[in-house]
Amino acid sequence: MSEPIVSLPEPGLHAPGTGTVPAARAQALVGAGVLVTAGALAVGALQIPGDAGYGGVGPNFLPWLVAAVLAVCGGFLIWEALSGGFRSMDDPSGDTRANKQAFVWVSAGLLLNAALIGTVGFILSCTLCYLLAVQGLRRAAGQPAAGTARTWAMDALTGALISAPVFWAFTQFLAINLPGLTQTGWL
Amino acid sequence: MEIFDALMAGFVTAATPANLLWALVGCALGTAVGVLPGIGPAVAVAMLLPITAKVEVTASMIFFAGIYYGAMYGGSTTSILLNTPGETASMVTAMEGNKMAKSGRAGAALATSAIGSFLAGTIATVVVTLFAPYVADFAVRLGPPEYFMLMVLAFTTVSAVLGKSTVRGMTALFVGLGLGCIGMDQISGAARYTLGKPELLDGIDIVLVAVGLFAVAEVLYAAMYEGRTVDTQNKMGRVHMTKLDWKRSIPAWLRGTAIGTPFGCIPAGGTEIPTFLSYAAEKKLAKGDNQAEFGTKGAIEGVAGPEAANNATVTAALIPLLTLGIPTSNTTAVLLGAFQNYGINPGPQLFTTSATLVWALIASLYIGNLMLLVLNLPMVGLWVKLLKVPKPQLYAGILIFATVGAYGMRQSAFDLFLLYAIGMLGVLMRRFDFPTAPVVVGMILGPLAEAQMRNAISIGEGSWLVFLQRPMSVTLVVIVLTVLILPRVMKTLSRRKMARLQQLDA
Repeated sequence: MSEPIVSLPEPGLHAPGTGTVPAARAQALVGAGVLVTAGALAVGALQIPGDAGYGGVGPNFLPWLVAAVLAVCGGFLIWEALSGGFRSMDDPSGDTRANKQAFVWVSAGLLLNAALIGTVGFILSCTLCYLLAVQGLRRAAGQPAAGTARTWAMDALTGALISAPVFWAFTQFLAINLPGLTQTGWL
Repeated sequence: MEIFDALMAGFVTAATPANLLWALVGCALGTAVGVLPGIGPAVAVAMLLPITAKVEVTASMIFFAGIYYGAMYGGSTTSILLNTPGETASMVTAMEGNKMAKSGRAGAALATSAIGSFLAGTIATVVVTLFAPYVADFAVRLGPPEYFMLMVLAFTTVSAVLGKSTVRGMTALFVGLGLGCIGMDQISGAARYTLGKPELLDGIDIVLVAVGLFAVAEVLYAAMYEGRTVDTQNKMGRVHMTKLDWKRSIPAWLRGTAIGTPFGCIPAGGTEIPTFLSYAAEKKLAKGDNQAEFGTKGAIEGVAGPEAANNATVTAALIPLLTLGIPTSNTTAVLLGAFQNYGINPGPQLFTTSATLVWALIASLYIGNLMLLVLNLPMVGLWVKLLKVPKPQLYAGILIFATVGAYGMRQSAFDLFLLYAIGMLGVLMRRFDFPTAPVVVGMILGPLAEAQMRNAISIGEGSWLVFLQRPMSVTLVVIVLTVLILPRVMKTLSRRKMARLQQLDA
């Protein structure tokens, strides 16, 4: 089931995982995830009316098709994972282990941004998102100065210096609605 | 003559000072996102889609088109100078370009790729100018069964044929189709997968998926796995081509264009096949010392050909987009989304209903290519400086723009949570080598294909045989089956042949 017609640099048979879980198991988990998705889509499809009207197929046809094909794909992925790993797979770039600390920093930035943007406004919320993400990325890069007060201050300032002009450009010139802390249109 | 008049009228629209400025800003921004790692044309256009609420349609399409092909120019700069090629389109360029740069000929590689891109882009634009109206005329005669089969062809090539693994490509495609199902069914009005949330009734916006899968996923991936990856940069040198370089490049550019253009014209996605074919052709045609340079010192033909093929394909891909409404790549899928934001459905009628827009867009391609040549040859040093922006700051900055794109569309914080979830999906897909283009193409083309399929079956009074009863539709069925089956048969045959030869040897 996996024939490339363009033979870009042939990676051979690799079975890389996330680094914390053995490769085959990680890949099998991905296959299982696809299967679960297929199941969830099928459950959802049960609630969609099937009345076809004049056509031969109703609004629930595509959802059922998607669920069925994903189920087959999920099964196939699990089989591949357990019989030597995903076929024709490139080695993923970067480290074999995920840097959890950096992941938490960046995720915190993104999720806090989503939670706060409506109340504290675009500029402050995005500055915070930038600050947390850049701290995470600095730590991932192993920069020793990441945690110093000076770096924190510099990063906060840089975040504000990017967020504010972006906010002004989009709200003032392009009339796109972005939330502000005040009604002035400048903060 | 009719086409010439229409094109001239297009130039009049495209050459107004405001539109020229939009084209210039688009080209410059496109080159920048092409050069910068972590952000490509699809995501740049997606993040800027909210401007469609305010900016007039012709101006914004000229702007987006500038980003679209500007990124192709910028992408080759990165693939030649950095040791990590950005996107698949420039992977082949990177093979030889990087070797040339290592042996001190980065300047010549950059020059041949910029001039080749210009030449191929311009020739392909001429092809678009001459052929798109005819394709549109022809496409008017296609009915829902034919449209549906054309879309199936696009799905098949994007997911099953082009990727490395059919099963991972299919998974990605059907995840995209599943995402496209969310929201109100456009024929019956039934709610699908909305989980009782009113935010989901309108469906998931293409901006969220494109920005989440590419920008947010890229930042998360960089933080999780690539923190310690150090990119080494090759020295630049003077951007200059010798007489011999010209002599070797010109035929390669023309061959690359000839290979790339037809691939763009058909609704089958990807630049991998044409660029790789062009590379293989150049390697085969080179003789003596020139051939010895392939894979060692870096051969200039190996940069010139694929780069021309790449730009020719990308430009010609506007034919299926504009005349059939079928996108074959991430960026064209997002461009289709931009058209839809204006309530315009690209397709055969576009050339009659929105003639001014289409011809201004085509005229802007000529103008944009010229701008890009200037932006990328004398000013290449300026763009290379962008590579000096430190990664943590660059990637964190991308998140601010991602927020604008995702939030600016509907002003909903819910979308930002969804953006994060899609970003996580993107990390998983990247880690396990799932292609992303099928997700985006499936999501945007899925609802259109579904509508065509249901209309077709209505025409057939409930019978699926309608797809086999019309000559054009049955031809497309055969093509889809051939595209699916032929490569597999060929592979099995060659495997058997190899086995037989090995047996004989033993």
